[in-house]
Amino acid sequence: MSDERTLEHSATPGSSPLAARAPRKQIVAVTGAASFLGTNLIGVLESEAQPQRILALDTKPPATAGAKTRVYELNLTSAAAEERLAEVFAAEEVDTVVHLAFLPSPTHASGYSHELESVGTMHLLNACRRTRVKKLVMWSQTLLYGAHPTNPNFLSEKHPLRARRTESFLADKIEAENEALRFGKPGQGRTVTILRTAPIVGPTVDNFVTRYLSHRLVPTVLGFDPLWQFLHEADAIAAFRLAVVRDAPGVFNITPDGVLPLGTAIRLAGRQALPLPRALAGSMAGALWVAQVAEAPPSFFDYLQYVCVADGSLAHKVMGFRPLYTSREALIDFANAQHLREVKLLSETPA
Amino acid sequence: MKKEKPPKRARAVSKPAHPKARAAAPDSLQRSAGARANHTPAARKRRKRGAGAEESETAAGTSELESALSASDSAVSLALDDDDTLAEEAPELGLGSRMVPPHIGWSDPLETAPPSARPHGDVAEQIRALEARLDGLIRSGAAVKAPEPAVPPTEALKLVHQEREVVAAPADNLAESPYFEQQWGRQGLRNRSEEVDDFGLDPAFENRFRPVSEFLYRRYFRIKTEGIAHVPSSGRCIIVANHSGTLPLDGLMLRTAFRLEHAAARELRWLAEDFLFYLPFAGVFMNRVGAVRACQENAERLLGKDGLLAVFPEGVQGIRKLFSERYQLQRFGRGGYIRLALRMQAPIVPCAIVGAEETNPLLYRLEYLAGLVGLPYIPVTPTFPLLGPLGLVPAPSRWTIRFGEPVSLDGYGPQAAEDHVLVGRLSERVRGAIQAMLDNGVRERKSIWFG
Repeated sequence: MSDERTLEHSATPGSSPLAARAPRKQIVAVTGAASFLGTNLIGVLESEAQPQRILALDTKPPATAGAKTRVYELNLTSAAAEERLAEVFAAEEVDTVVHLAFLPSPTHASGYSHELESVGTMHLLNACRRTRVKKLVMWSQTLLYGAHPTNPNFLSEKHPLRARRTESFLADKIEAENEALRFGKPGQGRTVTILRTAPIVGPTVDNFVTRYLSHRLVPTVLGFDPLWQFLHEADAIAAFRLAVVRDAPGVFNITPDGVLPLGTAIRLAGRQALPLPRALAGSMAGALWVAQVAEAPPSFFDYLQYVCVADGSLAHKVMGFRPLYTSREALIDFANAQHLREVKLLSETPA
Repeated sequence: MKKEKPPKRARAVSKPAHPKARAAAPDSLQRSAGARANHTPAARKRRKRGAGAEESETAAGTSELESALSASDSAVSLALDDDDTLAEEAPELGLGSRMVPPHIGWSDPLETAPPSARPHGDVAEQIRALEARLDGLIRSGAAVKAPEPAVPPTEALKLVHQEREVVAAPADNLAESPYFEQQWGRQGLRNRSEEVDDFGLDPAFENRFRPVSEFLYRRYFRIKTEGIAHVPSSGRCIIVANHSGTLPLDGLMLRTAFRLEHAAARELRWLAEDFLFYLPFAGVFMNRVGAVRACQENAERLLGKDGLLAVFPEGVQGIRKLFSERYQLQRFGRGGYIRLALRMQAPIVPCAIVGAEETNPLLYRLEYLAGLVGLPYIPVTPTFPLLGPLGLVPAPSRWTIRFGEPVSLDGYGPQAAEDHVLVGRLSERVRGAIQAMLDNGVRERKSIWFG
């Protein structure tokens, strides 16, 4: 498996990784276009000169689709997805695919999520192989490293992905990542960029982390206060935009500066931590998860106990990505919007 | 005037309630011509500072009035209360000298006029306007219930104060005062920094814990350091020490030693064993005061910032030594710290800690059930399972921390880290140096308890 994750980084010291490329015709297809990341990425690319055209592929159209965007309805879980993708890619001469069709939160429909994330990625990559797609940008998460007491404080991209394979939310994403790495093996003339984002928070994003931090009482594990990173949604979008307009093959951690102990994060969000012994918390969370009240299954308690913090310096060196917000600023921005929402001064619900 | 009566009444009620306050704050009384009986010393201090003088005065006035009102008998009708507020306010506006209660001495000649004296006509107009507003309030407001007097008067007071503040000095710099921070700052985070450093050290938390660690260092273990000047004042450096104590306190004490004794008061981080981070409370606590999980990535990152790093190459083998094996260095692992030093080009300072091995003399290791609680073993000391958690309190032995000559690895390049034979030899050299220092220290020591 280790050879699969040795993608070459274009980190040759002399050549600038930023290498502004001559304006060329770039046609970008975005899967999961109606998701939070997809919608906003399309919104950003719409306002820029670089991609000539954007194809929005999803089961429903994104709200930000503008003049440059063509919307195609596509269900990655259907058996005909590969055929349809290949047709569209060939007809539109797509050269760049941004793969964002991943679930942002754990789901009870583990069968569906497997079809979408693991099998769907396979469909997509096969369609790419059949056509002339030269570049793939894929979303992944630092959560896939897994929270372990033996983790170094800053996980580099070389660290194996040790998240629990029993958790379909994590296992399917790891499988998808492995497929993408196989697709982008050096020597085939393809550029594959995988962006592992730290947990995303912000004023408009909605995922299981933001929901976890929105409870009045936030369950934590008694005696543990791990360090967390919180990536601002704007920084996440900026990283994807950068990966689309620049060629930077490899796997990159997209992380903010600074870390926060979870307890501090909960207080910054204006919530009250509810420390529970792990044994009690596990069974309780299991029951709540089955009752569809909790936002994550009990195995996610690992992340409330042990550190899972990634080192984002490679993205800075190779891709030139610098986050705008620190962990703390991102969290405060999220908390402010959340409070306004609570007192009904902000009416729109998070995406 | 009808208005004069009710305030006296309210005052008469409030008088017995605050005799101490009155005695404590005579000059503030004299200063405000309104004879606010209840100014606290704190309020006075704030006023002397000059910032927000008006603010504090009004605040104290409000609270005083409220207490007076709540103390007053229920026969005081609402209408009277409202008049009360106005009359209460009047002295501050410059009309009040005749309402000074007779028992308060007005002897200070320096205090001539109330601070906010303004032309009378202006004030009278304001009062009239306010009266009209109050009437409106009473008519429209909540039903008049005699037993619950407090709410409308305070409402009215607030209005009056708002009016005044616009005319008088605005409290612009309120937000800068420490009081503001204390009163309205982020309540829950007052005792913590809002940010920890990259490895989890929380400076505010450490500051709070500092008296404890200094007590342990100075009074409890009475630690003596020798040769701390061998550690350079700047630049990366690795301190290699023997590890001991069932509860490993040596890292924390080393950190305290560098803060207290080193010329440059260098900040030391130490690498702690994995098992610590499996434990509830202990792992988080050690992390917040400076421990970092022992692994090459963390060590490289710390040294890369030109930090001072302490390592205990014995690892768990060191703290699981039985009492009979004390001061005999265990194996030094695979020499990871040598490879680290070679790769990062950091000098190594050997360090011998004498005295720590007697703090929790380990008699036996229960390894059989330890897996259940996530520990490498359950220690059996003369006191531990016997006295419960109290048994883990370390014995007050006297410690000596001795630093040796730095071992320079300058002659070898970073590529030497791959040379296993060389790494082994260097590791053995450092181990020998520490063992010699330990032996000397134990030999020279006359008493475990008094050094």
